[in-house]
Amino acid sequence: MKIDYSIEAPAIEGRLSIAQIEALIAKPLDSKPDKKFLLALSVSGSALALGAICVLMTFYFGIGLWGNNQPVGWGFDIVNFVFWVGIGHAGTLISAILFLLRQKWRTGIARFAEAMTIFAVMTAGLFPALHTGRPWLDGYLLPYPNQHGLWVNFTSPLLWDVFAVSTYFTVSLVFWYVGLIPDFASLRDRTTSKLKKTIYSIFSLGWRHSHRNWQHYEKAYMLLAGFATPLVLSVHTIVSFDFAVSIMPGWHATIFPPYFVAGAIFSGFAMVVTVLIFVRKIFDLEHIITVNHLEKMNKVILATGMMVGYAYAMEFFIAWYSGNPIEQFVFINRAFGPYYWAYWIMVSCNVLFPQLFWVRKFRRNIPLMFVVSIFVNIGMWFERFVITVTSLHRDFLPSSWGYYTPTLYDIGILIGSFGLFFTLVILFTKALPVVSIAEIKAVADGAQPTHHEEGGSH
Amino acid sequence: MSEINYNYDQKVLPKKVLNIGLGLLVVGTGFGLIGLLLDSQRFLLNYLIAFTFLISVAVGTLFLVALEYVAGADWSVPIRRVTEFFSSTVPFLLILGIPLLFNIGSLFHWSHPEAIANDKILQSKAPYLNTQFFIIRFIVIIAIWSLFWFILSRNSKKQDTSKDQSITKRNIRYSAIFIPVFAITISLISIDWIMSLDPHWFSTIFGIYFFAGTVLASLSVVTYAVVKLYENGYLHPRIKKDHLYSLGALLFAFVNFWGYIAFSQYMLIWYANLPEETYWYLNRWEGMWIYVSLLQIVVHFLVPYSVLLSQPAKMDPKKLKFAALWILFAHLIDLYWLIMPNYHSEGGSSWIYLLEFAFPMAAVGILCVVFYLNYKKTNILPVGDPKLEKGLNFKL
Amino acid sequence: MEKKLFGVTALFNTPDEIIKAAKGVRESGYVKYDVFTPYPIHGMDDAMKLKPSKLGYLTLGFGLTGTFIALFSMWFTMAMDYPMIIGGKPFFALPAFIPVTFELTVLLATLATVIGMLTFFFYFPNNSHPLHDTTFMKAVSHDRYGVCIESIDPKFDITKAKTALSGLGGYDIQEIYYPEKSDIRLFDPKFIVFLIVVAAVTSGAIYFALNKLVYMQPFTWMQHQQKLSAQAETKFFADKFSMRPKVEGTVARGYIPYEFKGLAAPTTEIVNPTFPSEKNLALGKKKFLTFCSPCHGNYGDGDSRLRGQFPNPPSLHSAKVRGWNDGNLYHVLVNGQNVMPSYESQILPEERWAIVNYIRVLQKAKNATLEDIQAVRKEGK
Repeated sequence: MKIDYSIEAPAIEGRLSIAQIEALIAKPLDSKPDKKFLLALSVSGSALALGAICVLMTFYFGIGLWGNNQPVGWGFDIVNFVFWVGIGHAGTLISAILFLLRQKWRTGIARFAEAMTIFAVMTAGLFPALHTGRPWLDGYLLPYPNQHGLWVNFTSPLLWDVFAVSTYFTVSLVFWYVGLIPDFASLRDRTTSKLKKTIYSIFSLGWRHSHRNWQHYEKAYMLLAGFATPLVLSVHTIVSFDFAVSIMPGWHATIFPPYFVAGAIFSGFAMVVTVLIFVRKIFDLEHIITVNHLEKMNKVILATGMMVGYAYAMEFFIAWYSGNPIEQFVFINRAFGPYYWAYWIMVSCNVLFPQLFWVRKFRRNIPLMFVVSIFVNIGMWFERFVITVTSLHRDFLPSSWGYYTPTLYDIGILIGSFGLFFTLVILFTKALPVVSIAEIKAVADGAQPTHHEEGGSH
Repeated sequence: MSEINYNYDQKVLPKKVLNIGLGLLVVGTGFGLIGLLLDSQRFLLNYLIAFTFLISVAVGTLFLVALEYVAGADWSVPIRRVTEFFSSTVPFLLILGIPLLFNIGSLFHWSHPEAIANDKILQSKAPYLNTQFFIIRFIVIIAIWSLFWFILSRNSKKQDTSKDQSITKRNIRYSAIFIPVFAITISLISIDWIMSLDPHWFSTIFGIYFFAGTVLASLSVVTYAVVKLYENGYLHPRIKKDHLYSLGALLFAFVNFWGYIAFSQYMLIWYANLPEETYWYLNRWEGMWIYVSLLQIVVHFLVPYSVLLSQPAKMDPKKLKFAALWILFAHLIDLYWLIMPNYHSEGGSSWIYLLEFAFPMAAVGILCVVFYLNYKKTNILPVGDPKLEKGLNFKL
Repeated sequence: MEKKLFGVTALFNTPDEIIKAAKGVRESGYVKYDVFTPYPIHGMDDAMKLKPSKLGYLTLGFGLTGTFIALFSMWFTMAMDYPMIIGGKPFFALPAFIPVTFELTVLLATLATVIGMLTFFFYFPNNSHPLHDTTFMKAVSHDRYGVCIESIDPKFDITKAKTALSGLGGYDIQEIYYPEKSDIRLFDPKFIVFLIVVAAVTSGAIYFALNKLVYMQPFTWMQHQQKLSAQAETKFFADKFSMRPKVEGTVARGYIPYEFKGLAAPTTEIVNPTFPSEKNLALGKKKFLTFCSPCHGNYGDGDSRLRGQFPNPPSLHSAKVRGWNDGNLYHVLVNGQNVMPSYESQILPEERWAIVNYIRVLQKAKNATLEDIQAVRKEGK
């Protein structure tokens, strides 16, 4: 295919009018759930129920049900936590960083990705909360003057996590809600049902599409994007500190912060692609979430995949370069020790398969990108598994080496986390506009004035 | 759009630029040589600072050119030539590196066989850190960079007359290959020339740290040149403050990125407190070095951060010029802080330290000369680039 | 009642028209007017000549507040109120405080921006604005662009405003009135019932949580745990004992089996291997008071608080006991006698001899002669 570089590719295809766009996006909200929806919901709901049973068992009997034991004291719980937090990074990245970079293609996917962020962070938050063993006492994680006269330990990376994840969740939620306000107003003025109107009125807060409001609104959106961008970096950086501030070989590497951030973006984009492939098909949004958008996402997947590959290589090289035998052993053990299979799954899924995206045809091939994005998700889950388990299972003292195996409860909770995430995603598609109505209208053909004032900004 | 004729007469750059450049080069080299005679090890390290500074700017600008192609950016097309001009310093790096290659013995501890003989760690590193392999690596890396520079800038110039869109496509392809190659080579260069000065110390983030500084330095060189040309009307009249804003925003972003990487490295080493790593920071915390270390935070992060924070500042030519020069200076301080603590003096008079500005001055002179010569030869506006019209139309 | 006028609205079809209209309205001298568009239109700030938004100052102010709060509270808790050395770091470990400082800065800045914008800049929530539920609002919410000139504008005149708007190309020109006051009925029975239900459910839930739930498994603050407790029955072992017997054939460290166990007292075979030093006697006293005094009394008179409840424990000062040699005393201690059990498993051999020595001291003290006292006095001097 020939590309004309002098023409800008339209953000939405098919020359839709503004009214058509609104109708298209609002359609799922106006119609009753169909069979496909209920089927999908029942599948994810069953997974959620399975996870809920395992979680309740864990509540009652304690975390002894899990596979965590000496020497691997951190197992599936931290793996799943880091995995889901990573998934949660794509949303804010798409909405904030791409907004600052003025990438118009973000408008079609930003809302959905933000929603996924929120759900992924909610899912992620479960794991550290569960791992405390008595989750109803997790209030102790917050610094408040208490009867013990004690404070939390502000120098502990685990506490930084509490602040980072809760801040990230709050800011993502606020960001998402701010984007939703004008859409709620549009839905309010569109719906005929009285109940829906009441609900939309409450959430729209009385938004009137006034330009005097839009002006502040745009400014606020930019400020939020400006804050969310470093926030995204900080969250996964802090997650990487959980490992890297220790003196555990295989964990203590200075490259961890950027490496984790790149990995998080990588896995997050892969998850967004996985889900969007279905969403655009099911809700007829092919003109709004175009193949061009998916191709751009695949480019990001390729780029971040190579960053992750760079980090793997650099870790290996410096482990050798350091001349530290323990450091060297950990990395040899990773690749050729008892968990060699996990390591090679990680390398092939994260570094090798995304290389297919060098070819333009493959980047635009939907079945293929679905397969690769699934591989990336698997690979990124295994990356966290490799980091956590292979570093711990053979540490300094050979007499306490061991082999970690998850129990059925671990696996049940992992399945349940997917159930929770997808249940929330599926409910979201029916409850709220999956694409930002106002933003898409703003990038439609003829939506902006043709003549600019001389010397005018904007 | 290739029919558009930009009817744009390139203004002649005053000879002053060349004279200033040559003057800086001659004076800097002269004083530097005096320094070399007085204290050869110190001034070799100084030469290394100037050399790594030039590496930063040369390959950093080449990276920026490649990044524009890969990211499909429009706004930077009308000013891409400025970036390309600076990137043509790349092949000279080979010549400039020769004096250092002849003095590996006085720079690098690991090059002494007697040092290796008594040091288990150095023995284990010997397959990588040895003189032959070091020289081979250096030559190969510069050759690869030069090759990419040659292809990218030749194609870009060719497009001025041929207006062929397929050249853009090809350059995008080469840039996409260049970027991963760049990531690996810049890491190796930084490990070889800076990290291995202290052959026992290691840090996995070091390549990225140097990369952050590289991009900052090259961005600020480009920003300074663009603002200067913009103010004096050497650029196309349709280049506006919106373009400057993008440069300012990038500078601001990379100031943050550098701060983030520098903090990550410091934080992890400080927190884990392993003697094999912390001594590197302790060396930079002793005596006068503590002031340089603390200055790094202020000079390299806080000042440019506060200058560029507000939105209007990012498109204010005056503030941008200030920030660009300041960051360039900060990058020099950074390199000084990385390299100089490896100098172990046995007394000697301290007034010769005043000569330390000499080699960096010469490096700046080289940049001026390179820019002048390229400007003379080549169009400052890439008139054949299909994205040029979009780039000139760019609005925030 | 006369309806109060809010303003006059007009609709436009294209973004170009609305920019022109906004400019036109502004140029006719109106200040209290607003433009309504379903999405932000580029160039409108300029057409309306709006001043740049001041929202950034709010963000900056609250962001810095967050920084300060974080640093101050961490300094207070970690370096002032309860200083602890953690990981060899200083009390005020600045690098380790940066993550939390950053997060709090971002949190406060973003929340302040959004809440400040919604409340101070927009006066939200406001669902009773006169423009709501008008066809005008429905149109600008959908795909039209509108202008509204408000009646509070000093230059407002209803006919002039209408002609101005139609002159700019506007159509569907409407007068918008304030809605009639709707009364909110607080004493509606439905509402009262709703309140009662809410109150009952909330108080019931709180009662249940605080009085019942915390005594249920697993919310019992770890009161019930699946573990063995000493002296208690367990289902885990077949013999239902929590405390486990010694594995057969094993010898505890230091407890070499006594060779005359169960035999008659040997009189000459075992000899006291210890010297009654001060340290040895101190040990003997301690062990005597622990193991022997509960029956024999603190001074070995057989007068402990158990007297009368058991067969009376004998005095250790009887002529019989005083006549025993050390080996005999040791033998009784290890082997037991009559109702006295064996103390073999509780007391180490060295301690047993120390007890024997201490008993000898007690016997001497209780039966001291005048010469003994004189000898002690002499030594004391």
